[in-house]
Amino acid sequence: MDKILRDKKAIFIFIAPALAMFVVILVIPIIQMFYYSLCDYAALTPPKFIGLANYKKLFTNDSTFRMALKNSIFFMIFSAITQQIVGLLLAVFLTNIPKGRNIFKNIYYLPCVLSSAALGLLWAFLFNPKIGINQLLAKIGIEGPLWLMESKGFIVLPMWVIAFVALWQYVGQNMMLYMAQITGISRDLYEASYVDGASKWKSFRYITLPLIKPMVVTSLSLNCIGSLKFFDLVYNMTQGGPNHRTDVLATELYAEGFNYFKYGYASAISVVLLVLCLVVTVVIKKAVKVETYEG
Amino acid sequence: MEKTKMIKNPKKKIGPAVTLIYLFLAVLAVIYLAPLLWMLCVSLKDNAGVMASPFSIPTTFQWQNYADAWSMGKLGIALINSVLVCGVTLVVSLLFGSMAAFAIARMKWKLSEAAHTFFLIGMMVPVHCILIPLFVRFAKMGLTNSRFGLMLPYITFSLPMTIFLLTSFFRSMPGELFEAAAIDGCGIYRCFFKIAFPLCRTGFFVSGLMTFVNNWNELLMAMVFISDPNKKTLPVTLTYFVGPYATNYVQMFAAIIIAIAPTVIVYSLFSNQIVEGLTTGAVKG
Repeated sequence: MDKILRDKKAIFIFIAPALAMFVVILVIPIIQMFYYSLCDYAALTPPKFIGLANYKKLFTNDSTFRMALKNSIFFMIFSAITQQIVGLLLAVFLTNIPKGRNIFKNIYYLPCVLSSAALGLLWAFLFNPKIGINQLLAKIGIEGPLWLMESKGFIVLPMWVIAFVALWQYVGQNMMLYMAQITGISRDLYEASYVDGASKWKSFRYITLPLIKPMVVTSLSLNCIGSLKFFDLVYNMTQGGPNHRTDVLATELYAEGFNYFKYGYASAISVVLLVLCLVVTVVIKKAVKVETYEG
Repeated sequence: MEKTKMIKNPKKKIGPAVTLIYLFLAVLAVIYLAPLLWMLCVSLKDNAGVMASPFSIPTTFQWQNYADAWSMGKLGIALINSVLVCGVTLVVSLLFGSMAAFAIARMKWKLSEAAHTFFLIGMMVPVHCILIPLFVRFAKMGLTNSRFGLMLPYITFSLPMTIFLLTSFFRSMPGELFEAAAIDGCGIYRCFFKIAFPLCRTGFFVSGLMTFVNNWNELLMAMVFISDPNKKTLPVTLTYFVGPYATNYVQMFAAIIIAIAPTVIVYSLFSNQIVEGLTTGAVKG
């Protein structure tokens, strides 16, 4: 038995296709990305090594990039906070109601499986200045703002709108993850705590919260990386406008790379994005200490 | 009969807190469903009707919108492209993924843990990082504007999740099964194809659904790699309707409905399996 499970040739044959795809489509391009980011490289001329000049320009002389970076970080923080809180709240509610848990759960998770390109178009229409929500507001005598065109403020109004739409679309995922974790907690723990006279809040604070900690790491990392990579909704709701005020890293990268064909410069942006993702993951792992509990 | 039931399940008291929770959940459900149902309404009106009263229920159904959107937005060809790209990606990533997962979960070699971690790291890499280098190389090889070229990164990015889910499925299988097969003189390949493969149907189903949903909705790579209108996938086709000059709203909404219908159907049939895929993937990570 052992012999056939140690068959080196078979192992190689099983692993090779996946490994080959990974190396060719993922590993080599990532290495190239680092090299391109150090080059002056437009579509038609071959890459020319220029050291750190792209990065220098990004951080000292590119207000569009700074706007995109600011928006991405705002979006990440907003999503992390709101989605964690609302997701956990919904999970707690749904695990505590006697009936209808599945119906509500399936409704809230539905947008997660739908195309965000399609939903972006839907919301862009609803936040249109003349039709949609503003028409409803007009009926009760309120003049609605230009939801997706306002360009004043540190974080512009359209960015908030997009952030709330993203909350609407993706909070179901956090809810699902937390529900799975909560239903995995033994009923006995709660019953014991009620026997000891603990209130609902106390049992939540001292049983549920500590026991879902491992899931916080997963769901928070998914949240943060997901929001840093965010592209579809922004592209279909504002395309980065008005005047780059809602650009995020991904739309900025797309514009520099595929509208202006500045491959080197866009590569530098993707390096920044990759580094941010890695830093955020490591920080979350370190910050949320997971103790293991007996039980 | 009635009586015993009553005694067995005495009516649970529904306190004010639970009532409030239900109220909150119901309001939220409306916020979730209203935009989607409203979209369905708009897709059946005419443009003048939408402008005049966008929130009313349509009086006459303009099924013509769907036919127009279908031909205007080239949705037929886009649908075929999406099905083709997602279908091939699904099959290939399940095949390659299950082979790697089997070697990692069941076979004995020094680097199996390292290989597992290596594939997992792939889950964290943003697609954006490979866009430019891959586009440059594909352009040289004539792989841009080709469905095959789009499948390659789709398969690659589907592999980590597939390998991850299937590894945990293979690990949960009893080892005696393979031992017995080996004693009977079953080779490793037959062990995989005849024993592990059929037993892992649930695993295939769950990870297949995740792969399908993710790739069906993928926009960025499809936008970058494909510019030929005859090869675009559904999400990209929808971007025709974006922009300040897009005014044919009813057609846009008809197109959106067509584009999201497959995932809505798949989700309503298999929501439990999709949820299982999401949570096993995350819980065991």
